[in-house]
Amino acid sequence: MRRRKVKITPLDLFVVLLLVGAGLYLAYRMKVGLHYKWKWGVIPQYLFRFDQENNKWVANLLMQGLFTTIRLSVWATILATILGTVMGLFRVSQSLFKRLTGRTYVELIRNLPPLVLIFIFYFFVSDQIMPVLGVDEFVRSRSESTQAVLTFLFAPPSLFTAFLSALITLAVFEAAYITEIVRAGIQSIEKGQWEASYALGLSWWQQMRYIVLPQAMQRILPPLAGQLISTIKDSAVVSIISIPELTFQGMELMSATYLTFECWITIGVLYLILTLSLSLAVERLEIYMRRSEA
Amino acid sequence: MQEKTLGDYIITVDGISKTFPNGVCALCDFTTKIRRREVVVVIGPSGSGKSTFLRCLNGLEDIDSGSIVIDGIPLDDNKKNRLEIRKEVGMVFQLFNLFPHMTVLENVNLAQRLVRKKTKEGARQATMDLLNKVGMPEKATSYPSQLSGGQQQRVAIARALAMMPKIMLFDEATSALDPEMIGEVLDVMKTLAREGMTMVVVTHEMGFAREVSDRVIFIEEGRIVEEGTAEHFFTNPREERTKLFLSQIL
Ligand SMILES: Nc1ncnc2c1ncn2[C@@H]1O[C@H](COP(=O)(O)OP(=O)(O)OP(=O)(O)O)[C@@H](O)[C@H]1O
Ligand SMILES: [Mg+2]
Repeated sequence: MRRRKVKITPLDLFVVLLLVGAGLYLAYRMKVGLHYKWKWGVIPQYLFRFDQENNKWVANLLMQGLFTTIRLSVWATILATILGTVMGLFRVSQSLFKRLTGRTYVELIRNLPPLVLIFIFYFFVSDQIMPVLGVDEFVRSRSESTQAVLTFLFAPPSLFTAFLSALITLAVFEAAYITEIVRAGIQSIEKGQWEASYALGLSWWQQMRYIVLPQAMQRILPPLAGQLISTIKDSAVVSIISIPELTFQGMELMSATYLTFECWITIGVLYLILTLSLSLAVERLEIYMRRSEA
Repeated sequence: MQEKTLGDYIITVDGISKTFPNGVCALCDFTTKIRRREVVVVIGPSGSGKSTFLRCLNGLEDIDSGSIVIDGIPLDDNKKNRLEIRKEVGMVFQLFNLFPHMTVLENVNLAQRLVRKKTKEGARQATMDLLNKVGMPEKATSYPSQLSGGQQQRVAIARALAMMPKIMLFDEATSALDPEMIGEVLDVMKTLAREGMTMVVVTHEMGFAREVSDRVIFIEEGRIVEEGTAEHFFTNPREERTKLFLSQIL
């Protein structure tokens, strides 16, 4: 691929100068106006700390939060993909009841503020559903090694139920968007594909399974990967229910150190590292998909 | 031209009507009967209802009134009947509608495996025979996008034939092709006709009609205006509208 030549116009220069000026002014205001004293030195120890007992470096508050965010986002996206696919199929189903169910679900979720949804849903799931399922006893009664695996994949036993509830809440929220991605993917397949497979005697489900979904998959995958990025960002909202993910840890750190800027800038950078690297990957995926389509 | 004997009625269409939601009456009280081994060519101006007629015959379009019986099976709301009819009636489309994510072999195999429940080897054998028949055995592992229009349409014909249908429907199967490819597809269709396949063919290729058809139906505004042999249409069409239409396409 040939690179496009970069041309800098005087206008670009002017804009850059303006931005630099604004940045400098902001720094000046903080220095003079707020008398803010930067204490960046405090931050690193909250990323990693040296464990005297085991004589090695371990993740501390912020990194633990980051890992929780990753766990939460990955599992939520996987769960949401399953739910979203089912609901997406409902949305294009021949049965009016299923179509209505899919439609109601999507409209309800998308038209409520996520925070409200979290409150309603989280307390419902954690208070009503989890005890019925007996998740807590189940986890606590596992052997130590099983608990270690569960801790690595999900959360420590003490937090397991809360984590699972947050995970389900987040998944149900994201699945509404995935439903629409799946629906759009399915509906983007030409009518002729349906007609040809119908004429050959395939059932609706066979048409879906062998003809439509495999083709729709190519168009669904890039936006689906994009949805993972949204999930990472949206996962911050579960800090409100005390899940120790990145944002929650940030608030903890804030109340301990009062280092507003250092703390939130660090958190921001950590989120950016996650999301930007993912969006680069998605971009590659899109290019790859387009190539195989042509 | 060698003589073939026509059999009993395999398609009975009795007074069917189809009106689209926008109020267009695509078929109005349409009645016809087609015999086993008969080749019927349907002609008519754009929007006259030719495609709608074909699509009603395999249930792709629902009719508002009237009745269709295919080889003794009524085409009604009964799902089993509809499936039976879909198995017996093959269809070839103007734009081929091959499955782009599958090879030629997989395209032709699919319905044999899923609907006819053939073994993998059995399906493959039948597919290779059919690809031979349509003159492209060497393309089995190609994807549709690697084929010319003519080749794609021949694969589409093989795919429909793989279901061993009793009836084949062709909806302007050569209209989307470059002129130099029309011949190869028509040749396959002519072979089929001579082998005694029951065929309903929407086409403006009057040469094809003259060579292999037993009957030509001219329809306009959802009604049969005139029908007869191809020879009849060439030599002394009765209706003014038929004459006008023929003068435009010949
Ligand atoms: N899905 C549809 N919705 C609404 N109207 C339709 C639909 N399909 C066909 N029609 C209308 O029904 C009439 C008959 O259409 P049909 O496609 O059967 O014509 P045709 O003879 O095949 O024409 P062409 O030669 O252009 O293919 C036309 O007036 C068309 O506009
Ligand atoms: Mg048509």
